[in-house]
Formats: sequence, structure tokens, C-alpha cells
Amino acid sequence: MLSVLVWLPIIGAVIIGLRPQKNQARSIALSVSFGLVVWSFWLLFQFSSSLSTMQFIEALQWVPQLGLNYRLGIDGLSLPLVVLSSVLTWVAIYSSKREIERPRLYYALILLVNAGLAGGFLVQNLLLFALFYELELVPIYLLIAIWGGTERRGYAAIKFLTYTAVSGFLILSAFLGIGFLAGSEAFSYNPQLIAALPIATQVVLLSLILFGFGIKIPLFPLHTWLPDAYAEASPPVAILLGGVLAKLGTYGLVRFGLNLFPEAWHLLAPGLAVLGAVSAIYGSLVALAQKDIKLMVAYSSIGHMGYILLAIAAATPLSLLGAVLQMVSHGLILAMLFYLVGLIEAKVGTRDLDGLNGLMNPVRGLPLISALLILAGMASAGIPGLVGFIAEFLVLQGSFVPYPIPTLLCVVCSGLTAVYFVILISRTCFGKLDNATAYYPSVLWSERIPALLLAGLILLFGLQPSWLTHWSETTTTALASQIKIAAAANFPGDLP
Amino acid sequence: MTVTATKLPPSKHPYAEVIHRLEAGGAMLPDTPENLMQIIGLYKAYAVPMDFYWRDLLYIAERVFLEPLPFFKYFLPKEYLDLPNHYAGDTADLMIWRGQATAHPELLAFMERGETGKMPRLFHHLWHDRINMEFAEMCMRSMLWHRGMGGRFDPYLDSEEYKANANRAIEAYFRGNPAMLSLHKLFPEMFLEQCRQMSYYSNLGLFWEVMAPVFFEMSDLYDEGKMTSVPQAMQFLVNGIFAIAGRPIYHHVYIKGECFEIIPKSKGFTWLYEAALPYVEAVFYRTAPFRGTKSYNAQANQIPADQKDFHYGILYADVFPVGTAGIPPTLLMQDMLHFLPPYLVEYYSKYCRGQEDMLIQLGVSFQRSMFCVTSAVIQALRQALLYPLDDPNPRHLLKNRTFFEGQMDRFLRPEARLNAIQNQAYR
Repeated sequence: MLSVLVWLPIIGAVIIGLRPQKNQARSIALSVSFGLVVWSFWLLFQFSSSLSTMQFIEALQWVPQLGLNYRLGIDGLSLPLVVLSSVLTWVAIYSSKREIERPRLYYALILLVNAGLAGGFLVQNLLLFALFYELELVPIYLLIAIWGGTERRGYAAIKFLTYTAVSGFLILSAFLGIGFLAGSEAFSYNPQLIAALPIATQVVLLSLILFGFGIKIPLFPLHTWLPDAYAEASPPVAILLGGVLAKLGTYGLVRFGLNLFPEAWHLLAPGLAVLGAVSAIYGSLVALAQKDIKLMVAYSSIGHMGYILLAIAAATPLSLLGAVLQMVSHGLILAMLFYLVGLIEAKVGTRDLDGLNGLMNPVRGLPLISALLILAGMASAGIPGLVGFIAEFLVLQGSFVPYPIPTLLCVVCSGLTAVYFVILISRTCFGKLDNATAYYPSVLWSERIPALLLAGLILLFGLQPSWLTHWSETTTTALASQIKIAAAANFPGDLP
Repeated sequence: MTVTATKLPPSKHPYAEVIHRLEAGGAMLPDTPENLMQIIGLYKAYAVPMDFYWRDLLYIAERVFLEPLPFFKYFLPKEYLDLPNHYAGDTADLMIWRGQATAHPELLAFMERGETGKMPRLFHHLWHDRINMEFAEMCMRSMLWHRGMGGRFDPYLDSEEYKANANRAIEAYFRGNPAMLSLHKLFPEMFLEQCRQMSYYSNLGLFWEVMAPVFFEMSDLYDEGKMTSVPQAMQFLVNGIFAIAGRPIYHHVYIKGECFEIIPKSKGFTWLYEAALPYVEAVFYRTAPFRGTKSYNAQANQIPADQKDFHYGILYADVFPVGTAGIPPTLLMQDMLHFLPPYLVEYYSKYCRGQEDMLIQLGVSFQRSMFCVTSAVIQALRQALLYPLDDPNPRHLLKNRTFFEGQMDRFLRPEARLNAIQNQAYR
């Protein structure tokens, strides 16, 4: 069942590549990704949310000498992310320009990215994860380098490639280290084997993993590829990049950091909590200084990722649930923001805060798009009634007891987020149109659909959060109790 | 009218080009077929709601009068729909439009069916499928509030004679209603001020009674191919202004079958000086700042302290925010939208967002057409007060030029749209 999510997009990519008709690429990609959305929703309802273990396990021996098994499974941590990635891939494909150059390569690459994402979230083997993780690298590099924005796209793509390759290298070396030290059996995701390693070794391995995923998430100070890559990527690619690829990093942190090294995690957690808070404040302050709305959204992403790190560091049942929710909510909100910013750039021709004005004008502006931008900005800033608030509140509530100061700093960051989004909205949507330039083309209904869909989800989960939380609750509670047991066994003095 | 090239050296005014065009007998608007089509089409689209405006303004001034709860003041009785326009049809005092004197058939059709379908008038009203009469009232109130624009009509409203006339009508209107009568005794200025407002209802109604047939006739002439250039259109307006200049402005109120002459015709108030010129000044130039564009905050000093400096009329208005909250001309633009001639709908469909932003495109055309009307007023004033354009005496021509330059000085503020309308790309 899970293999469908991995192989269907690969098959789709191959079909697109082999078909000579260029104009069919889009419709094939759309139907494949729609199939994936349907399939992942079907999984959602087959999933038993009361079990904390892996479900729908599929296992095949592949290269037993290396410990490389094809082993897939899903739990409450990966399930929401898999669904998110299917939905956002559909949005990305739908929102790609109809008359895009070299459509076959483009859509094939996007489907490959989706396959890599699904694989990353589903595999239960360290080496196979590293494989899927690296599989993201080249398609995204090409997507930025070929279909990116300005002349700087080459630079941005190379920067992305280098950083991510280093990230992949760090992760792979950590995994290989695990394999060498704990035996190749450990490759097939076996926490017991790793727990037997000495604590100092665990800390070293965990640090490698932290740096590797820290680049991907990204965290301050490993984030410098992000503004270039996000700003140069075309909107659909930015949606994938910010909406789901970054989640691969946070997911990896929980799955391969917290879950494999609970003791080492307990040691490093206070530092990570501080780093999360610093990242959040840093991202917000830099976003505040931007003049380009896409860069503002990009830096807001660093800020929101800081919350996730804080929540994972705290590792209470509530904060872990908040972390999963924040991944989903940030994915939806960031995708919507990037989509809207891309649409505004396409219609108005600029992303400059000083060049934009008065887009709320009902006749000549982009009124519905502006309204949705305000909604997305509010969701990002954590206004109640929208999904961002639910996620942030769970994170803050869950993290306050273990780490009060970083949590309070994140509350400040939440305030700063509101500040720069109000700046963005007031400069973009409010004010009056410039009569010399304001002859923008109108927005078609087909162009509004993705934004409306995302807005619907953001509102739905904001008003009815239990539809989002109940998939992950059992898993995150189990994760939290596991780290609590490990901590109690090794550091009895730390517990109250 | 053809005029030989000016005998004066070129003007150094920033609007020299426009001034030279005015001196050659042209309008402020460039003479292009596209401009002509837009202004004539908009005259037509404006004239139909205007036919409603003037009838309803007179109805309110003469019949509704001081009704404290005028819930139904926009519901014209048949009597006022059939009221013969004095300048149209066979019974006309002076036939300007060759069409019928009663309400325009397009207006009647709209009142019956609206944009929705046939239903009782009350439902049309509640569904807001109607003529935005509030716009006409806003124009009226702007004339009422901007005093000191010349003329004798406004000073007359403060005279003892007017007060006595009004008092008689007020007492007759509230006869048998002791509550209102005692209110009137307690606060004699209250109903008097309302009565002044009613006099302006009448004033504006009588002004538009003339403009509606003028615009209808221009549209018909254009359709027949007899009006082919912008100066011709402007000249038609100038001639119309002079033909009508002497028409009386008055305020009669009908109470229980009796006519009260609050401002009798015998006072000799005339259309040009007591209605047309104050109207142009109050509505085209001044009006009131839009709530949606200016702050009324006294400390912000965004609004001039002196009414003379108000510059919020259609000649200065920013049409792009039409359709937004706080932009009063939206009401008129929506009214005109129902009555656009097909050639304009086709024309708008080709530009900008096509039919989606027609409200603004027609607003820009309306602005052009009002610049043409203002040109006609400026030419008429010049004709009345100064010298002909083909005067052989250079000193007379210089006087004309000084007059034109003085008029153009009013458009030197950055808000003025005179520069914008010179260019067809402004739409």
C-alpha cells in the first residue's frame, strides 16, 4: 500500500519522459498527483490512530550484506507529512505555468521529488532513507537552475546543491557510523542496538545528524542557502521546497535524532531549545528588514522552524504533538504564502514592497488574492481560529515547563511575526493603486483554486484541530514517554 | 466654428498646449474620434439616470418637502414620471431633444425590470436594484454647503422675504400636527434650514431638467452622424447654455392642492447664473473630500480650511478606487453602468480587464466627458464676458488668453486630471 506512494510518481515520471507529446505532460502529472492525494487520504482512513507502532509495514530483502532492506512503514509522525506532501505536490503541479518550457523534464522532476519525499517519510531503513534524501538533491537543483527567477538562479541552485550535499554527507556518515559501531542490523531502524553504544559516541553521532538536518530545516546559522534558493525558485518549486522538503529535516530530527538517541538527546536538548529560540528571533528580525515579499516569507520560515526545534527539544507529549502540527500548519501556510506571492509577482510584475500598493482595490486590484494573503499572514502570525495558532500554542504550552526562557522568546517571535506580516500586508494590500502602472491582468478562477483550497484547510484545522491532532497523538505520546524513560534510567538526578 | 491661427506669441503656461487649443475654439480634451465616442456614449449613459434624478429632485422639493420620515422619497409617482420635460417633445418651451417629454423609455424599462427581473418596486429598492438617488442628493448638498460661489440665489435664502415665504409653507405643511408646529415654534431655524435644502433640491432638479435632453440630443446627433468632432460637441453645449441661460429657477411647494411659491419665478433667478455656474463650481471643482481618500483629522491638515481651495470634484477625482468603500462617485458609475450604449461596452471589452473593470473605464470616460462640459462652460463664460476668438484686436485676444490661463491655473495642482486625459493610455 505504501509502495504506491513511492512508485506511482516514479512510474509517472518515466511515462512523461517516454511520451513524445509534450502537451500531455501536465495532464499526466496532474492525474498522477491527484491519484496520490486520493491514495494518501484513503490511507488516512485506514490508519488506526490508537496504535503507536508502525503500520502497513512492507519489507523486502535487498542487499543483506549491507543491511539495506526495502522496508516501509507509517506511524502518526509520518502520516500527516505524507498527506501534506501529496497535497502540496498537487498544488505545485497545478500552479505551474501552463506554457512552461521543457514541460516533460519539469513535470518528471517534480514527480521524482514527490517520490523522494514519500520515500523519505516512509522508509524504515537508515541507508534507504539516506538514498531517498539524496534523491531530492538533483531534481531540486535542476528545478531551481532551469526554471528559476533571475540570473542569480544558477548561483542559488549551486548553493542549495552544495549545502544539501554536505547535509546528506553528514547524515550518511552518521548512519554509516551507526552501522559500524552497532552492527549492520542497526541499519534497519533498531533503536535497541544503538542504545547500547557508549553515551559519548551517541553524542558524536547525534551531533552529525543534528548538523545534517539543521542545514535542511534550516536553522540559524546553517540557513544561508535558504533566502537565495527560495527567492530564485519559481513559486511551485518554492512551495515544495519550503512546504515539504524542510519538513524532511524536522521529521529526520525526530525520527533519527530523538527516537534513536534518547539519552544523548536529553543531554543536548537545552542547547537545542536555545538554538530554536535564537533561530526564531533571528528569522523574524531578518524578515522585518526585508524589502522583497518573497524573502520576507522565506525568513518567516526560519522563524517558524525554530518553534519546531524548541518543541522537539522539550520532548513532552504536548510539545511533540505541537511539533507535528507545526510542521503541517507551516507547510500549508508557507505553501499558500508562496503561491500568493508568486501570483502577485506574475500579475503585478514586482515583489518589491515599495513598488506594491493598493492591491485590495476591488475592481482594478487583486482583491480576493489580497484577502487570502491577509488570511495567510494572520495564520502565520498565530491568530486564533487558524491552524497556525493551534500549532504554536501546543508548542508553547508543551515547552514552557522544561524551557521557560526559550519559550518566552518564541512568544516574542510570534509577536514579531505579526509585526512583519502587518508591514507586508499594509504595504501590499492597503494604500492606493498607482494610476500610471495599475493595469494588471485579472486573476482567473482557475488560479484562485489552490489558494482557496489551502485557505479552506487552514481555516478547517484552525476551527476543528482534533481532526489534525488525533492521527499523531498516540505516536507522539509514545515518543515522549520513551525519552522520559531513557532520561530516568541514565540521569535520575535530572528528574524532579 | 473655425478660427484662424492665433495672432499671439505662444503661451508660456504649463498647459500651453491646452490653452492654444481653447483659443482655436477647441476643448480641453484632444479632438480624436475615440474621445468623441467616449464622451458622447457617457452623455447618453449619464442622461438616463439624470432623467430620474431631476424628476425625483423636483418631487422631493415640491411634494415630499419636510416629511420628517421620508421613507418613500425615491418612489416616484406616475405624475412625476409623466411630467413633461420643458425641453423635449412636442409640448416643449424650446425643443432641444426631439424625443418624448415624459420619462425616457430605457429608464422606465430599468425601473420595471432592473438587473434582476420584474418585481414590485419596493423589492427592487430593498435588493438595491435601483437608481442611486443618493448621488443626486450629494450633489445638491454640495451646492448647498459651498456658499459664496456668486449669484443671487444663495443670498436670497437668508433674506427676510424668503423666511416669510418659507414660514408660510412650513405652517401650512404641518397644519393639524401640533407636535411639529410646536417644534417649529421652539426652533424656528430648524425647518427653515430644511426648507433651504429643499430649495436646492429644486434648483438642481431644474438644472438637470435641461442637461438631460441636451445629452440625449447629442447622443442622437452622434448616432445620426451629425456630430463628428469634440469641438462640435462642445459647441453644441455652448449653444445650449446660451439658449437656456434665461430659464427661471424657482421653488414651488404643493401642499394639499395649494401651491406655495417659496421662491417665485418673478424673482428673476436664471438658469445660467443661479444653477449652472454654481453647479459646475460646486460639483466639478469642489465637492467634499472623499472619506476613502482623505483624512478629516484636523491636525493632519489634509483638507483645506478655506472652501475655495476644495478640489475634490470630478475634474480632480481619482477614478481608480471607484468601487471601493468611501468613494462617492461609485454611486454614479454604477448608475451609468446600466445604460451604456453597446458601442462603449464593446470598446471597453477590448481594454484593461474588459467587462470586469468597466466601472473604472467608464469612470475615466466620464471624467473626459466632464472636461468637455467644463470646456463648454469656460468658452461660454469667455463668450459672455470677453471677446470672440477671431477678434482682430490683439489686446482683446490677450484678455482672452489671460482668462484662459487663469482658468487653467486651477488645474496646476497635482491632483488635477487634465494632464492624464490628454493621453489615451489613461483608461
